[in-house]
Amino acid sequence: MSDSALLAIFREEAPRLRSTFRQIYAVVWANLRIFFSYKFAVIMDLLSMVASIVMYFIMGLLVDPTQLSSRGYGNSYAAFVLVGVATQQYLWICLSRLSHMIQHDIRGGTLETVAVTQIRMGAYFLGQTIRGYLISLFSLLGMFAVGLFALGIPLVINIHTVGAAIVAFVLMIVANQAIGFATAGIVMVYKRGDPITFMLSGLNEFLSGVLYPLAMLQQFPIVYWMAQALPYTYALDAMRKALIGGATLLSPDVYFDVITLVIFSVVLLPIGLKVLQMGYNKIRENGTMATY
Amino acid sequence: MKTPELINFLKEVQVSGREASVLEKVYAFVVRDFRTWWTYKLWVSIDILGTLTFVVSYYFVSKIVSPDILEAAGYGRDYLTFAVIGVAFQQYVFSSVSTLSESIRGEQWDGTMETILSSKTGFKTFLLGEAVFRFIMGSYFLLAALLVGVTIGVRITMNLGSILSAALMTILLIASHMIVGILGASLILKIKEGDPIVWSFSWLTQLFSGVLYPLNLLPSQVSWVGAIFPLTYSLDGIRRCLTVEATIFTPTVAEDIVKLAVFIAVSLPIALKAFKMAYDSTRSEGSLGQY
Repeated sequence: MSDSALLAIFREEAPRLRSTFRQIYAVVWANLRIFFSYKFAVIMDLLSMVASIVMYFIMGLLVDPTQLSSRGYGNSYAAFVLVGVATQQYLWICLSRLSHMIQHDIRGGTLETVAVTQIRMGAYFLGQTIRGYLISLFSLLGMFAVGLFALGIPLVINIHTVGAAIVAFVLMIVANQAIGFATAGIVMVYKRGDPITFMLSGLNEFLSGVLYPLAMLQQFPIVYWMAQALPYTYALDAMRKALIGGATLLSPDVYFDVITLVIFSVVLLPIGLKVLQMGYNKIRENGTMATY
Repeated sequence: MKTPELINFLKEVQVSGREASVLEKVYAFVVRDFRTWWTYKLWVSIDILGTLTFVVSYYFVSKIVSPDILEAAGYGRDYLTFAVIGVAFQQYVFSSVSTLSESIRGEQWDGTMETILSSKTGFKTFLLGEAVFRFIMGSYFLLAALLVGVTIGVRITMNLGSILSAALMTILLIASHMIVGILGASLILKIKEGDPIVWSFSWLTQLFSGVLYPLNLLPSQVSWVGAIFPLTYSLDGIRRCLTVEATIFTPTVAEDIVKLAVFIAVSLPIALKAFKMAYDSTRSEGSLGQY
């Protein structure tokens, strides 16, 4: 899509409702073009991604496999950590992408500019969110490809296990994106939300067992209880049980995780959207859309 | 120190009429940056929380690690100590070095870089001032990580000779990575985006310098790569000093020190030359404050 075609979509006089999908498409496309214009950064991202998988693969040689298998995650630490590290970046995108983008646009003065065009802000926010998903999907698939084909990390790949992992993954995105929407709403009003997203992301990484089996937290009941309150914990457990242990959606452990994730999504999504809307309305009322 | 006093230091106009020394200016930079950092108290809490969670994460990882390979590499059987020293020192140098580049980008972005440099404060003082606070904060978090580690089981020797040897290795570690920072800053001045040198060093050292695993686990075809990076020698020496009571007189540590000294002697003039070229080039283009 050319620059002039993109600008035409942003300028168009067509009724907003009819053009929502075109607007989302334009926002996604415009942002992808910006991302790929930083070619060096894209290459460095790719190399970092490969390096992190290789690093954990080598670190896995130190791990005693019986410590993992006794906790129900097979005997390959590389497989265990691949699922954790590959999905962790998606978690970060869900929690922080929108709030970072809003802060960036407020600082650059472009949020106000976009708000006064015909584009629906819902479409703009969704487009920015989808852009984050697409780029992270690229990394996620790249990590799994490197792990599976270059390093020979053993995962159980069939339609049932991958299907179960995808369901858990999508529900993880919905539940955590709801938290990301709420964070973005708060960032718009208070202007500094990085600490919140960093804290949420750091706690998720620590408590959900990205690097170690969650069962090890049981000796610390309060910390274990905190881990149980995070949707990522259930998603990670279900994805590992499916891709490492060969479980399917009908396996009791995965089934329980999925139901829990559905409950999280149903409860959190309306709250997240409401907070985002309240934040946006607040800065319009206060006239602080370009203030930082 | 009050704000007008800080400004006077940077202006080089003291009440007494004498010019401010470089030391006073660097002090002014440190106070300025500390006050800015302290303003974001929530960030301070999160930094501390981050240190705590990374140390505790490796506590759990250490429970599933088999220590035989570690012992074979000469680092004892304690993976928690091995990992906490590795990650804490790696984070220390790279957070300090990368925030130096970030601060230069920030000054360019906010338009304050030209303002400072159009005063009598020169670029070397500016760079030094920006760097010192980052290293002070890095040191603070390094010590915090080691302290948290000690409370949950990291075993560090109390042998005075070994601690002094580790301190010497740390000074060499800082000096060698300041060079990386200078190279990164010169590239930032020129290309105005990203931080390719520091970024490359960060992931290459994570992979090849033995941050999370001993180097004897690397395949022989790539194990030589670690020899390029000063972090490899620094970590090896610091670990041997802090865990198995080696000192600078232990042959392996002495060898690490010599290699670090050679790295600094060879790369420092290159980095300074590169920085001067980038600085002169951006000044002649008039693009010092552009971003």
